[in-house]
Amino acid sequence: MKTLLSISGLVLVGAVLATSVGAHHASGPFYDPEKSVEAVGTVTKFVFRNPHSFVYVDAVNADGSTTAWEVEMGASVSMSRRGWTPETIKAGDQIKVVGQPSRAPGTFGICCAELTKPDGSPLRP
Amino acid sequence: MSTMGIRNRPRSERRRQSTVCQPLLTFVGGTLAVMAVMATMATPAFAQTGVDPADVPDLTGVWDGGFRARPVNGPNMPWVPGENFPVLNERGLAHQSVFDEAVAPKYDCVPSASPALQYDPYMMEVTQWPDRVLVRYEKDDQVRTFWLDGRETPSNDFTVQGFSSGRYEEGALLVETTKFTFDVAGFDDYNGIPSSQQKKVTERYWREGEELRMTLTVEDPMFLREPVSYTTRWLPGPEGYKLQAYNCDPFEAGHPRKFLVPKYR
Repeated sequence: MKTLLSISGLVLVGAVLATSVGAHHASGPFYDPEKSVEAVGTVTKFVFRNPHSFVYVDAVNADGSTTAWEVEMGASVSMSRRGWTPETIKAGDQIKVVGQPSRAPGTFGICCAELTKPDGSPLRP
Repeated sequence: MSTMGIRNRPRSERRRQSTVCQPLLTFVGGTLAVMAVMATMATPAFAQTGVDPADVPDLTGVWDGGFRARPVNGPNMPWVPGENFPVLNERGLAHQSVFDEAVAPKYDCVPSASPALQYDPYMMEVTQWPDRVLVRYEKDDQVRTFWLDGRETPSNDFTVQGFSSGRYEEGALLVETTKFTFDVAGFDDYNGIPSSQQKKVTERYWREGEELRMTLTVEDPMFLREPVSYTTRWLPGPEGYKLQAYNCDPFEAGHPRKFLVPKYR
């Protein structure tokens, strides 16, 4: 498993419009929409709550170290209407996450992410 | 959705009234108590007087304010720059300039309030009673009561959701809410705009076919130079949908704070 932290390949996502995370808060102050990170790893925990759900992913980097990513998702009350449950993602699942990295130095948050299986196939409820 | 006649008291309220009266009968006993109870039962509901039932819109039901009903809320919605974005006075600008996202009350599970609550993309349930309209919001498990009985606004009871008086008029429900607590982001938490105890929110709800529509106006001379408004809509909720408990998790509410670059050291 690899973490492809594309710091070297910052992705310009066009006009920078702040988006919201599950409509609870704007993503802009927390995450950088002009960058993109990709993490492929093992789910350690899925917290299905309000106002935000989080999936925790351990990804092994190229140098052998591990980064513990915290991927912010929407409110469980909204996700459940789309079929999500606390069991949709389980500890031990392999997952690929592509999204915006958190702004605070030394943190490993991801937001506004696309979640797939490592082969890129959709991860759906 | 069912139409509830304004003069027909819901069965559940009649049950509740009987339950309340039962201990009184036990405690006092005798004819006087029975007469007192009968007098209470005979008292008509404190409903809005003189309203024509034709002016009472059917608002009862579960309404979907989610993504399929309208653009999601954010820094440019529902307050759109160049359109209805508020003009702040100097006090408002000063507050906004020192606002720190990390201290926004929502990260401690403090509920959303007017004018943000209505635009949050969640379900809500409206129940029309003769003397009040109850609105339950899935977001933050909030309940607002719009009193139709003409009761006086309490002088010093400031609360997160304020005190609401309503009346039916020309096929719409008009609601005025005051007595809000001060909130550092109580006008717009996406742009760090506060609201004060002087905030007054006026809502007008009406039906447009299957849709529920609302125009909301905010006045707050403490921070705004002039009143501002937005109009939005809800669509009928899924058949049989029951509002879920929100149960805001304090840890998860504040979790994203760690990803902010601190404004103040």
